[in-house]
Amino acid sequence: MTWVVWRQQRAQLITLLAVLVVGAAGVLLLRSSMSSYLDTHGLASCIASGVQPGSTCGLAAQEFQAVWFDRMKIGQLLVLALPALIGLFCGAPLFARELEQGTHVLAFTQSVSRTRWMATKFAVVAAPALVVLVVLQLLVTGWLNAAGKLGPLVSGPFVYSNFGTSGLAPVSYALFTFGLGMLVGALSGRTLAAMAVTLAVFVVVRFVLTGVQQFLLPTQRVVSDDPSQPSVTDQAALVVRSGYLDARGTPVPDGAEDRIGQCGSRGNTEAATDLATCYREQGLAKSFSDIIPSSEVGTLHLVEASIFGGLAVVFVLATGWALRRQT
Amino acid sequence: MTNQPPVLADGLGKNYRRGWALRDCSTEIPGNRVVALVGPNGAGKSTLMGLITGLTRPSTGTISVFGDTPHGKGMHPAVAFLAQQKPLYAQFTVAETLQLGKHANPTWDQSYAEDLVSRAQVPMSAKVGTLSGGQRTRVALALALGKRPGLLLLDEPLADLDPIARQAVLGTLVEESRREGITVVLSSHVLAELEGVCDHLLLLVGGRVRLSGDVDHLLNGHVVLAGPPGHPEPVPRAAVIDAQRGVNGQHLLVPANAIGTTPGWRRFRPTLGHLALGYMRGASSEVAA
Repeated sequence: MTWVVWRQQRAQLITLLAVLVVGAAGVLLLRSSMSSYLDTHGLASCIASGVQPGSTCGLAAQEFQAVWFDRMKIGQLLVLALPALIGLFCGAPLFARELEQGTHVLAFTQSVSRTRWMATKFAVVAAPALVVLVVLQLLVTGWLNAAGKLGPLVSGPFVYSNFGTSGLAPVSYALFTFGLGMLVGALSGRTLAAMAVTLAVFVVVRFVLTGVQQFLLPTQRVVSDDPSQPSVTDQAALVVRSGYLDARGTPVPDGAEDRIGQCGSRGNTEAATDLATCYREQGLAKSFSDIIPSSEVGTLHLVEASIFGGLAVVFVLATGWALRRQT
Repeated sequence: MTNQPPVLADGLGKNYRRGWALRDCSTEIPGNRVVALVGPNGAGKSTLMGLITGLTRPSTGTISVFGDTPHGKGMHPAVAFLAQQKPLYAQFTVAETLQLGKHANPTWDQSYAEDLVSRAQVPMSAKVGTLSGGQRTRVALALALGKRPGLLLLDEPLADLDPIARQAVLGTLVEESRREGITVVLSSHVLAELEGVCDHLLLLVGGRVRLSGDVDHLLNGHVVLAGPPGHPEPVPRAAVIDAQRGVNGQHLLVPANAIGTTPGWRRFRPTLGHLALGYMRGASSEVAA
């Protein structure tokens, strides 16, 4: 059966290969061109530190970013868009086109079980699509790493575009859209409808899960004994909530922070010289933040991927059921 | 092969939202026959084929195919089906289509399938999408026969063929079924071609079985009476299955056991066409009455 599916999906698989070759060549060329730019402009030492006040990297780094930052963003966009495209153009038509053209009858009336037919079609198309996705993801990640903190990675691993292009995220999104497209296609028998529904559902689910991202893991509270200083030292962490604690250690209700205005300069009065003491006099003993530390990003990837992956498994099983239905 | 009959239906029915497509169908299709599945459009022919292949699930009753109940997991290995639309992958070449059959059927006979295609003079390297209707049917037929089935179901195989292609396809079918001992079920509403080809008739009208059995037996059991116009009928009206009256005379289709003496009437053995058409017309006039 593998041969049959390979022959049937040949054009699609060749397209995937072309995407891989063109994408990989493009990313590698850009990366080497960027590396030589960094070398010739003496920016190699700035990769780890990024643009910081007072550093020697300032102007040259800004010129670098003016040219290269958006290009790297486009690379990320490719990795963000690929899972949706895989679902739309590989998953949705997989069974919808057969049902549309009536050729499923041909497949159903050979001696091969419908389950095997479905499993073969799924494997022969999904596996290469995932390989293309992972290779391009790794190449783009490598390119972005080469720019270090001069590139988009400076915003930290939890930012939408960085989170969605790293770790298990792209593969889990692709499995989700592929499974969803397959299922809607098998149920509706209409390619275009399956593509539209897949895109719409994927966008909504991605939006919702990005919105609830901060609730997927328990937060850790970090506290600064000096209430006038920020409590977070991990610049890349995901800050879920921040505020002040009173002397007993309970969070001061929202709005009470207005009191810190008392410590600023107002009219003729001078600003308080010892901010920490002033804050404490206002009942703000310590500052705190509830964060998901950047070291937990792998765990968060795992949680999100298991949600998308779990749904993908449900979609694949439901497709099997849909194809074994009798009219 | 088992001694189970190719198809055994008992009280079989299929209800769609629009109504019953097939009802109270109890019949047996014996082995080594060429069966004509005949009926007007919407009689339930395709529904019955769908039930035999397992593409469709019965609403009532049971059906068994070589002793097994058809299901949605996959088709019975001894059954081959050629749907009315003759679905084939248009982008495959003829050779690739046969290769599909080879990969998807453990009982595949490549040289037999190739032989069928070359006898039909269809070029192996041609894309299926570029073939004529007749060539396409021949390729689909080779794919169906290549799996060496015990039961071959053909839904309106002749519908989109010209008369020469019809003769050729029908000739192939009969030859192969006789030689290989295959039971062939042909659905059609074109009766003339099936004359002399089929030895078993299954006539459906309005979703019900009107007539079923061995063709010779059925033909011997009926008589066509031809008489002058206006002549009184020699048999009770209830026994007349179908009556055709014109200025040149009248023709009555009646069961052979219903007639005694028929002065002034000539007797004929009906053809398969007479018989089927008579029953179809009779059934529709019953509905009208």
